[in-house]
Amino acid sequence: MKPFALVLFSLLVCFGFAQPVVGQEKVEFTVSELAFIQSHGPWPPKMEPDPSNRFSGEPSASAWGQQLFQDVRLSQAQTLSCASCHDPDRYFADGKARSTGTSTVDRNAIALADLRLNRWFGWAGQSDNLWAQSIHPILDRREMNATVETIVQRVRQESDLAANYTAIIGKGPKEEEPLRLLVNIAKILAAYQETIRTPTSAFDLMRTRLLEDEMISEDAAVLAGLKLFVGKGKCSLCHFGPNFTNGEFHDIGLPYFIESGQVDQGRYGGIRDLKASAFNRLGEYGDEPAESAAQAPTAFVSLQHRNWGEFRVPSLRNVSKTAPYMHNGTLASLEDVVRHYSTIDIERLHADGETILKSLDLTKQEIANLVAFLKTL
Amino acid sequence: MTLFHSKQVLGSLIFGIALALSNSASAQQHPLADVHIHYSHDAWEIFPPKEAVAILRKAGLKYAFVSSSSDDGTQMLYAEAPDLIVPVLRPYRRRGELSTWMHDPTSLDNLRTRLSENTYAGIGEFHAYGDDIETDVLRGVIALADKYDLFLHAHSDAEAIHLIFKQDPGARVLWAHSGFEDPSMVGEILATYPRLWSDLAFRSDQAYDGEVSADWRALFEAFPDRLMIGTDTYTPERWPYVTAHAEWTREWLEDLPTDLAEKIAWRNAEGLLKAR
Repeated sequence: MKPFALVLFSLLVCFGFAQPVVGQEKVEFTVSELAFIQSHGPWPPKMEPDPSNRFSGEPSASAWGQQLFQDVRLSQAQTLSCASCHDPDRYFADGKARSTGTSTVDRNAIALADLRLNRWFGWAGQSDNLWAQSIHPILDRREMNATVETIVQRVRQESDLAANYTAIIGKGPKEEEPLRLLVNIAKILAAYQETIRTPTSAFDLMRTRLLEDEMISEDAAVLAGLKLFVGKGKCSLCHFGPNFTNGEFHDIGLPYFIESGQVDQGRYGGIRDLKASAFNRLGEYGDEPAESAAQAPTAFVSLQHRNWGEFRVPSLRNVSKTAPYMHNGTLASLEDVVRHYSTIDIERLHADGETILKSLDLTKQEIANLVAFLKTL
Repeated sequence: MTLFHSKQVLGSLIFGIALALSNSASAQQHPLADVHIHYSHDAWEIFPPKEAVAILRKAGLKYAFVSSSSDDGTQMLYAEAPDLIVPVLRPYRRRGELSTWMHDPTSLDNLRTRLSENTYAGIGEFHAYGDDIETDVLRGVIALADKYDLFLHAHSDAEAIHLIFKQDPGARVLWAHSGFEDPSMVGEILATYPRLWSDLAFRSDQAYDGEVSADWRALFEAFPDRLMIGTDTYTPERWPYVTAHAEWTREWLEDLPTDLAEKIAWRNAEGLLKAR
């Protein structure tokens, strides 16, 4: 923030609120609300290379990764690629409630963007790094259904894959141990996915104007929605910071049966998978120094009862373009999402386990305002 | 000696004991008493009684203390497995009464009717904090517990626990979630009230990756006969968690001396039932 703006912001804090003029209406922000608005930027933040992936930030690796991302040879039947569910033309999602690989999976394809800001990957956080997460769909029988042997065979036998592997990895695929070859392919995929970024949004521009107290003529509904987001709605408490997520996991009172009697364990299963994975940051396949890896969050996470049925808080950037919503895509529109929080069944949340979520009881106009704000992200 | 209030159950109790002797929990599974199970309408719609009991048996439970909104759920489970189910009477007739029931005198009428018709070991799990205990409804509940010799399963803060014993120093109270208080406070209150027991439902702080923390270990050693375990199936999705919870529990119980672990696992639950 510019020095002038800082002074101005301090003055606003002293006076307790800002009063942007909005057409005929006036929206007042409290000190707390302004602080939250400030916390949602600036954008984009600096994104450092992934220390666990030696190819992270390497242009040649990300260029090959972009090709591999759309390469059906990474699936067993050579009919599916990463892009089948993370379609670049659909903001790296697929628009389906639950995605379809070789068969229908349990969860919605989460949109890929700004991934260097993630602490955990997947709805359940089963991975603590992007390359490990990239292995899951390749080997999952309901997704690309490949085997390690298939990937190894194809990379060794297909001349373009072998040539790229040799040039970028620095070693011929025939000389590589099979599991490490798979990991290297996943690291190349990760190097590309890290480059998928969301642009500066309408909200980012509005935030700057608000904090610099420029004469603004914002949309009244958007400003009212922003006020709800950072105020009464308490949305900012979990959809925190520039990326609009705290990166952690919550139970938001949605049912999480996959089908009758079969439950999606969410974060509970995610932690178990994470700890058991050979590809987590504590394992032998990462590239970061041991002392750095030892400080990975995975070293400190442990199972808690609350983890059962928790799912990762997603970023809200680009949110209006990535419907449907929630881990299983059961909410078709942003209006549905806001209505869920407005009428949340508080008895589905543990009486002492949840202190943030309350039924918001929003009016029709408030729901429309909040949606109008979300569309600026 | 019967374990809980009996109006009509001599026959079913004998039947239950016979079944208990042939309880099929595997020899490898250390038995557990899960004292915090709910079987409310949305759960029984998804897991009918036979399926629900199968889940409890698969988890290797010796006893399951069940309370439900409405109590019909508990009655269905008890009818299905009288050897396993310890019926506890919840004051809620449906979801949504959790924070209002203590101001609704008809909830007391419902308890009286149920108590006259069925068999129970306790009343609860109910939510009541601070001076909620001094409402007419809660006073009535405490009096009913005394009349029928039932324990009270109270989801309460420390102040409410003090007020329950102020009203009835002879009450038997099972403190749900140990009030989510820290071990030192739990110990202080357990020391004050010899007829207070405490459950660990929905608490994860007693162990990290199967290792019991020092403060909880000290509490268990100071009060070896007073703490017990529970899952808290507050949504239908939590029913499949009963098994995972049992596994999680056995892991940290392994970190305690065998005798102490067995007490927390199930003997203390039995002790609560026998402490008339």
